[in-house]
Amino acid sequence: MTDVSVSSVGVSYGRTEILSQVSLSVGDGRWMGIIGPNGAGKSTLLRAIVGSVPYRGSITLGDIEIGSEDAKSMGRRIAYVPQRPVYPPGMSVFDFVLLGRTPHLGLLAAEREEDIAIVWDSLQSLSISGFAERDVASLSGGETQRVSLARVLAQQAPVVVLDEATASLDVAAQHEVLELIAQIQHEQGVTIVSAIHDLTAAAQFCDELTLLDRGQVVAMGNPEGVLDEAILASVFEPTIRVIEIEGSRVVVSLRSQGSSHGK
Amino acid sequence: MNAGRPSGLRLPWWWIAGATLLLLVTVIAGAMIGPASISPWGIISSTLSRIPFLNVESSLDTRADDIVWQIRMPRVVLGVLVGSMLSVAGSAYQGVFRNPLADPYLLGAGAGAGLGATLAIAYGPDASGWFIDPLPLAAFIGAIVGVALAYVLGYTVRSGRTAVTLILAGVAVAAFLTALQTFLQQRESDTLREVYGWILGSLTTAGWSEVRLVLPYVVGCSVVLVAFRRLLDVMSVGDSEASTLGLHPSRIRLLLIGFATLGTAAVVAVSGLIGFVGIIVPHTVRLMTSASYRVIVPLSLLIGGSFLVLADIVARTVQSPTEIPIGVVTALVGAPFFAVVLRRSKGIVS
Amino acid sequence: MFKRTTLLAMALALVAVSCSSNDAADATTLPTQATTTSAPASTTTEAMESRFPVTIEAGNGAVTVEARPERIVSISPTSTEVLFAIGAGDQVVAVDSLSNYPPEAPITEMSAWTPSIEAIAEYDPDLVFISFDPGDLIAGLEALSIPVILHGTALSLEDAYTQWEQTGIATGHTSEALDVVSDTQSRLVDAVESIANDAQGLTYYYELEDVLYTATSASFIGQVIAPTGLSNIADEAPDPDGFGYPQLSQEFIVESDPTLILLADTICCGQSSETVAARPGWGSMTAVTNGGVVELNDDIASRWSPRVVELLDAIVEALSSLVAVDG
Repeated sequence: MTDVSVSSVGVSYGRTEILSQVSLSVGDGRWMGIIGPNGAGKSTLLRAIVGSVPYRGSITLGDIEIGSEDAKSMGRRIAYVPQRPVYPPGMSVFDFVLLGRTPHLGLLAAEREEDIAIVWDSLQSLSISGFAERDVASLSGGETQRVSLARVLAQQAPVVVLDEATASLDVAAQHEVLELIAQIQHEQGVTIVSAIHDLTAAAQFCDELTLLDRGQVVAMGNPEGVLDEAILASVFEPTIRVIEIEGSRVVVSLRSQGSSHGK
Repeated sequence: MNAGRPSGLRLPWWWIAGATLLLLVTVIAGAMIGPASISPWGIISSTLSRIPFLNVESSLDTRADDIVWQIRMPRVVLGVLVGSMLSVAGSAYQGVFRNPLADPYLLGAGAGAGLGATLAIAYGPDASGWFIDPLPLAAFIGAIVGVALAYVLGYTVRSGRTAVTLILAGVAVAAFLTALQTFLQQRESDTLREVYGWILGSLTTAGWSEVRLVLPYVVGCSVVLVAFRRLLDVMSVGDSEASTLGLHPSRIRLLLIGFATLGTAAVVAVSGLIGFVGIIVPHTVRLMTSASYRVIVPLSLLIGGSFLVLADIVARTVQSPTEIPIGVVTALVGAPFFAVVLRRSKGIVS
Repeated sequence: MFKRTTLLAMALALVAVSCSSNDAADATTLPTQATTTSAPASTTTEAMESRFPVTIEAGNGAVTVEARPERIVSISPTSTEVLFAIGAGDQVVAVDSLSNYPPEAPITEMSAWTPSIEAIAEYDPDLVFISFDPGDLIAGLEALSIPVILHGTALSLEDAYTQWEQTGIATGHTSEALDVVSDTQSRLVDAVESIANDAQGLTYYYELEDVLYTATSASFIGQVIAPTGLSNIADEAPDPDGFGYPQLSQEFIVESDPTLILLADTICCGQSSETVAARPGWGSMTAVTNGGVVELNDDIASRWSPRVVELLDAIVEALSSLVAVDG
């Protein structure tokens, strides 16, 4: 059972407070979407959860406090894809996905046959086994996201943290990647925490949402509750509208009347 | 199910076999070719005569035998050790810094060694008759102190200890140590000739004692660096991702910098500053084979040895019986070759 | 024996001729015969000692010295030795940090490698001797109206003699300078003539540095040694630079097995007959087993002063004892 619990977490860079008193919890096997405007502290929160930044307060995975374990044990508990992952030029897709096996290997041990098999399975389940030998730096945006997800799969961690997995993708590619994440969530039963900038997509894929603004939690709960016009308007802009199409919430921003020159 | 699954991801045996064969061929060539005209058969018979129970009679007289075994062979063996160490250390530095131009000289190993050598030459006691020559010892200590200074400086930077701050610290330390060395050289100008002779790099007067001196360092450090080759691949995604993959990047970096520097310091101490090898060999391997350090590190070890032995053959035969500084050869021969490899490759140098 | 002496005499005659041809070309206010003759000083030379201004053709072109210099600065160890040898030592006020001979030379902290114009000017010199210009030293001193004489590394004995004579002319010691030249010439001849037996067919290796830099017969020192009949093993080496100082391969030296190993790196690099014998592969060389390793004084070897005779004496002495053993 791996739920994620964040309680009263604060993060500062020097004197600047990035997060303050952030608390949230994600149930085992659930997908928590972190939403909010640019600079709200979404990425910082995710980096705190994976143990990359020092924080005050407490973050636990199941009953394990982050930072109480060594990096290798943490690597087996939590997998992370940063906003802009590094794709080393010249490295093959297969080798890149194989990096996900690092926390399962002895420090100086070579990969075993079973690791190769796991990597191969991960590639196949994301339909990218066809370019296993290609240079990871030569792939398109959608392909690199699949490769990063394949590495997450190969890492076999019960908690997955994704920072803007679909930024810079077109609508179709974004949808495809989110479906793949949902597939991983349901097939592997993993807990997912992801920052997501597209509120409509967040409404459709996430089980729960946390709305951050200026380092603080503004709203938290199911998408229906959080994606409220009044709440969003207070955080984003007053002209935001939430409409419902075929049972899904769609968030749009209208051009304000005053700035329109056509009327 | 497994159709098309890559099988050649780990280092294929034929690459290792090919590189080993190349090393053997260059070593034999190095033993056969030289300014002294000694017949190949004489060298073979002399070699066989040293193998017990074969009962082969050497056809060389004492002087020729001395030339082959006291002068030429140790020089070839030292060439292998120096070339291998510089190349494998270069590949490790490029890996931990994710920088294609990194090598131990970047963090001040060269500048430190140069300063150490200058200090020993200018102010060292008269060492004739000493058991240990203070010059290599001073160069060795200088190289390690240089890199340690850079590391401490980079480590204490407030904005965080990343690979970039470490490189900047290295540049600052190297500039400072070089300035110090130049200053000392100006003050003690009678040392100028000897210091430059040392800096230019040379295997000219190598003997078995130099081989014995560096062998443990080269073997020990190479074993460690080769053992860590897979982790260099993990390090290539950067510190923050590497740490979420279960590594302590700064600890691994410190460890690898430490061993690469130790080995480099040892060989630089006896050979002087031979440039370019630590950059050109790993890159040639990368462009011709794979970008994975699991391939680059062990192949650099083997190819680096061959490269320096070949360069040394050129250094002592082109103008025989005059020598050309080997650093000149590594640049003159290496740079165009590197350019050809670079142009032919479709791969990107990161 | 007779033949060699004749050759030497011819060589010296050539020296004289080349000197005269050099100096005849000089635009000089001085009777040129005075500088060309290698005969002992005559009374006419005494008379012209005080005749200033003089103009000499130094390495930096025509240099005019207006009056007898009384505040000379030398930042060339060779020039320092020459100045004192010709009796101009009293006129020298400062010499560079490497000018360690003679002991009475007014040695200072000034660097010969990176001379500072200001440091030189501070001694208010009326004549400066240098052996090379690292940059704009000459231009800088000339801007201060200080005459500079550049006497670069001598490429031959003739070069050295010319420099000594010019030093004499420029300082008012012409006759002494001519004496020193002729004295050196005759002592060199004496040294060669004192060799007990024929040195033809014997070889030498001259070591400048323990990383096996050497000097060929084309170098100054090579020309000093040549009349002994010894041949230089480095003459086989191609010398594209033409400087006469190649770096030899160790195995070539051992294979050549020279009769004499001349060490001009005893001070700089701590080399001695013991360290040579201890080098790998050198122990069985003839020079090592036969006492043919000669320890020379680096300082003399790297200069082209009248002390060059001491160098040749040491070599001849070693050669004679060797030949005596052989005979």
